[in-house]
Amino acid sequence: MTDNFSRRDFLKLAGLGAATATILTGCGPASRYVVREPYTKMPEYTYNGQSTFYATTCRECAAACGLVIRTHQGRAIKAEGNPYNPVNLGKTCARGQASLQGLYNPDRIQNPGQHKRGEKTFTDMDWDAAIGVVGKALAGGDFAFLLGTAPDHLFDLAGELSKAYAAAAPLRFSALAVFEARATLGEAARAIFGKPDNLFFDLSNADLVFSFGANFLETWLSPVAYTREFANMRRAKRGYLVQFEPRMSQTAAKADEWIPVRPGTEGLVALALGKLAAEIKGKVLPAFNGVDVAAVAEASGVEQATLERLAQLFAAAERPVALPGGAPLAQSNGLEAGKAILALNAFTSGGVYLTAPAAVNDAYHRPASLKEMAALIERMNAGKIKTLFVHGVNPLFELPRALGFREALEKVPTVISFASFPDETALAADYVFPDHTGLESWGYQRAATGAGQTLISGAQPVIAPFYNTRATADVLLAASAGKLPYADEVAFVQAQVTGLIGAADGFFGAGDLPSFWAQFQQFGGWWTNDAKLSVPETPLLDKALQVEAPPVQGEGEFYLHVFPSPILAEAGANKPWLQEIPDPMTTVMWNSWLEMNPVTADELGLLDDDVVQVISPFGMLEVSVYRYPAIRPDTVAIPFGQGHTAYGRYAEGRGVNPADLLGGDFNSAGDLAFSGLKVQIKKTDKKQTLSRLESKLGVYGIGEKKE
Amino acid sequence: MSSPKIPEFKAEWKEGEAGRWGLAIDMDLCTGCQACVAACSMENNVPFVGEKESGYGRQMAWMRVERLWEGQYPEVKTTPFQPVMCQQCGSAPCEPVCPVFATVHAEAEQLNLQVYNRCVGTRYCANNCPYVVRVFNWADFAINPIHANPDKDGKLVFPLHNQFNPDVTVRRRGVMEKCTFCIQRIHKAEDQAKSENREVVDGDVTPACAQACPADAIIFGRLDDPQSRVSKLSQDKRAVHLLEELGTQPRVSYLSGGSHGNLG
Repeated sequence: MTDNFSRRDFLKLAGLGAATATILTGCGPASRYVVREPYTKMPEYTYNGQSTFYATTCRECAAACGLVIRTHQGRAIKAEGNPYNPVNLGKTCARGQASLQGLYNPDRIQNPGQHKRGEKTFTDMDWDAAIGVVGKALAGGDFAFLLGTAPDHLFDLAGELSKAYAAAAPLRFSALAVFEARATLGEAARAIFGKPDNLFFDLSNADLVFSFGANFLETWLSPVAYTREFANMRRAKRGYLVQFEPRMSQTAAKADEWIPVRPGTEGLVALALGKLAAEIKGKVLPAFNGVDVAAVAEASGVEQATLERLAQLFAAAERPVALPGGAPLAQSNGLEAGKAILALNAFTSGGVYLTAPAAVNDAYHRPASLKEMAALIERMNAGKIKTLFVHGVNPLFELPRALGFREALEKVPTVISFASFPDETALAADYVFPDHTGLESWGYQRAATGAGQTLISGAQPVIAPFYNTRATADVLLAASAGKLPYADEVAFVQAQVTGLIGAADGFFGAGDLPSFWAQFQQFGGWWTNDAKLSVPETPLLDKALQVEAPPVQGEGEFYLHVFPSPILAEAGANKPWLQEIPDPMTTVMWNSWLEMNPVTADELGLLDDDVVQVISPFGMLEVSVYRYPAIRPDTVAIPFGQGHTAYGRYAEGRGVNPADLLGGDFNSAGDLAFSGLKVQIKKTDKKQTLSRLESKLGVYGIGEKKE
Repeated sequence: MSSPKIPEFKAEWKEGEAGRWGLAIDMDLCTGCQACVAACSMENNVPFVGEKESGYGRQMAWMRVERLWEGQYPEVKTTPFQPVMCQQCGSAPCEPVCPVFATVHAEAEQLNLQVYNRCVGTRYCANNCPYVVRVFNWADFAINPIHANPDKDGKLVFPLHNQFNPDVTVRRRGVMEKCTFCIQRIHKAEDQAKSENREVVDGDVTPACAQACPADAIIFGRLDDPQSRVSKLSQDKRAVHLLEELGTQPRVSYLSGGSHGNLG
C-alpha cells in the first residue's frame, strides 16, 4: 500500500472487506513494528464494530494448513481455514480451532527470564541482556539447535546460522514425526520409487484403500487434507476402506472393514496380499515371491481365507491405494514393512504420486531421524555441547525416558529455551526467551503432503504481541551480529520467498518484492496453480522383499500400542477446550486411560475405571482401565498427549505419559522401534473415575457391578 | 397438532411449514473428528467446565458427537459418528414448558430462541427436550478464578476472555443455553443482504460447525428454498430425522447409510 493511502480509502476498503469477507493484508511492511498508542488515536484496522481478517498459517502441527483469523479491535477471536490454501481449502481440525487458546493461554511465559534449573518460576530479564546471553553462546561455539517440525522459516534460519558458525546442523523432530516414523516412510519411498520426493496419496479417486495403521483422519501427516480426500472418495464411487491395525482407531471406525492384525506383522500381511493379488492378476512381481501366505496367516492372526478375499478385492480394484501408517513402520522391521506396503501401490499407477521436495533440502535443512537425536544425546553426554537451543519441541516430554535425554541435558552447561509455555524442557533450561506464539509471528511452512501443489503457507502476525515476547529469529539475528545478511525476521522471510517472484506457474504473479509480499500476506502464502504430481516408477521391485517378524521386547503378556491422541496430539494438552473435547472413540475427557479388551479385562477381574500398573522393561505407570470393545485381546493401548509434569495449569498433573514406558531401540531407518514392546498389567485396589461423555456410570455408581 | 404428546402451544409454527433454516449432516462422511465441537465452542463463547464437572455431565458444549458400539470382538463396529445439536424443532417440546417465555419460537428465522435475560433457570426445557441438547450454566465457569492471573495490584486478569466473540452474549450462572444455528451469523448475512437490497441466498450463511468441518459433512442453508443444497439433501431418500415419531418436526436431517447404499 502506498503512503498516501487515505483513511477514507481505507474505510471503503474495510467496508468492502466485510461485505465480501475478503482477506485484508496487514497494511504492508509498515506494520512490522507495532507501536502501542492510546485509544484516542486508534489504528485504522481496529475500528469499532468492524472485524479485520488476516491470513496466516496454523502451527498446531506441521501440515501447513492456512488459517484466516478474525480479529476485532486488536483481539483475535476466531480461527477459520483459509479457503485459498490448497492443503485445507478453508477447513480446520479441532486443534486449529483451539489455537487461540494457545495465544491467550493464562500460563504463557510473559517475559524473558532465567532461573535455577527445575524451579517453576523465572526471574525476569530484559531483552538486551537476553540477546547478550544468546550472542555469547553463539560466539562460544559448540552449540546445537533442537527444533520442532514447525515453523520451517526458523529451521531454515537456524540452518544458515549453524553453517555460518561451522556448527552441526540443527536437529528437528516432533512426537508426531516419531509416531508416524517419517524418516522410515521417506527411506521406504526412496527404496521403492528411487527418489526422495514427498508422497501424495490420491484417496479422492481411489476405489479401494488398504490402510496399514495409517490414522489419516486423526493426526497422520496432514489430517485435514486427507479427511477431505476421504470424503471425496466416499462421495464419488464410495471407495472401500480396509484398516489393518491391532486397535480400532477413529479412522478404522470409518472403515468398511477393520482387520485386527498382530502388531508388527503388517508388512507380512502386505506381502501376502501382494503375492495373492499378483497371482489373481497373472502378473509376475518378484517382490512378493518370497512370502509364504500360510505362515503369514499364522503369524498375523488373519485367516488365510480373509487374506484371499482381500486380495481378490485388491486385484479387482481399478485404483487401489495402500497407506503405510506409523505403527507398522515404528517396528524393528519397519523399513521392510514400509517397502512392502508401498510396493502394493505398484499394481496400478495413479494411487500414489510424488510431489517435488522443498527447494531447500541440503544436509542443514532436513528433518532428522531419532537416531540422529540419539547421536546428539551422546555428544551432550560427552560434554561436547556447550549450549543447547530448544524451540518448538519438548523433548523431556516427547522422547522416551530410556533415551536418556534428561540425564544428558544436565551435562550441557547452558540450555536456552525459546518456549512460549513453561513446558518440561523450558523448566529444565537455564534461560527462557519466549518466542511469539504462531499467531503473533512471521514465517512460513512448506507442505510436505496433502496438496499436489508446490506450496509455501505464509504466516503473519494477526495481533500485536500480547506479552513481552520476541521473535526467536530476531533474537538470533541480533545476537549473531552481522553473521547473516538479514536485518530481521521479515527480511529473512522475504529473502527466502524472493526466488518465487515471477515464477511462471504461481497462482499470483508480481514484478517486485513489495507487490509480491502484499499478495503473499493477503492470500496466506504462495503455491502453484496446478498440482505438480508425477507418477512414480517402481524400478526396484525385481527383488523379493523380506519382512522378518519383529522380535518382542519385554516380558509381559500384552503388546503395548501407543497412539497420539486424536484431539490433543503432541502439544494440545494446555488448551482447556481440547482437554474437554471427548476422545472420539472412548469419549473420555481431561485424562489418560488404558484400553483393554473386555474379555481380557474379565479374565483379570477389571472393571472400568480400575487403576492398573503398566510395567515395561523401561518404566512403570498407573492408569485407569477403559474396557474397549475393539482391540485385540493380547494388546493394550494408551493415548499419548497427557501426563505433563509442567506445561501450565490445564496440562500439569493430568494423566500419564506412555513415552515413559518406551525403550530406545531403532529400526534400520533410524526411527524409534517402539511398537513391538510387551508390557505387564498388574491390578491395584485403586479406582480413579474417568470423566466420560458416554455414560455417568462410575460417577454416580449407577449400574455398577457389586463385588 | 398431530402428536398427542405435545401440549397445544403453537408458537408461530404452522402445520406443514418447511421452516427457513435447516441443517443436513452426512453421517457417511462425518469422521467424528470433533472440529465442529471445537468451532462451535470458540464461536459461541461456550465455557469449559473442567474434569470433575464434566464427569458429572455438566459440560457445556452445544453439540456432541455420538457413537455406539455394535457386536463383539472381532465382529465389532461403531455406529456412524453422529453430531447432535439442537434440532430446532418446528414443534418444540422445550417451548411450551417455559414459565417465563425464555424458550420461544422466532417468527422471522423459524428458530427456537433462548432468551438469556428472561431465563430464570427452571430447567423445565432441558427436562422436556428429547434430544438432550440443552446445557445449563451450573456455575460461572468462565470467571472461575482458577483461569486468572493476578496483576501487580492483585486484580484478576483472564487472558482467555480476549477470545470472546463480541457478537455473542456471555452467559452467567443459572441460565440455560443451546445451539442457535449461529444466529449472529444469520443476522449478519440478513443485514448484508438488506443493505444490498436482496434476499438472503443459499451460501450466505455458514454456521461455525459447517465452516470448520473438514469432510464437509455438515450443510446449512434455507429449507424454504427448494433449490438449496440443504433442501435437496433433506428430501433425499437417505435423510432421516431423530425421534421423528414424537412429531417434533426437527430441522436437522441426517443422511444415513452409504452414498451408494452399500453400507448396511
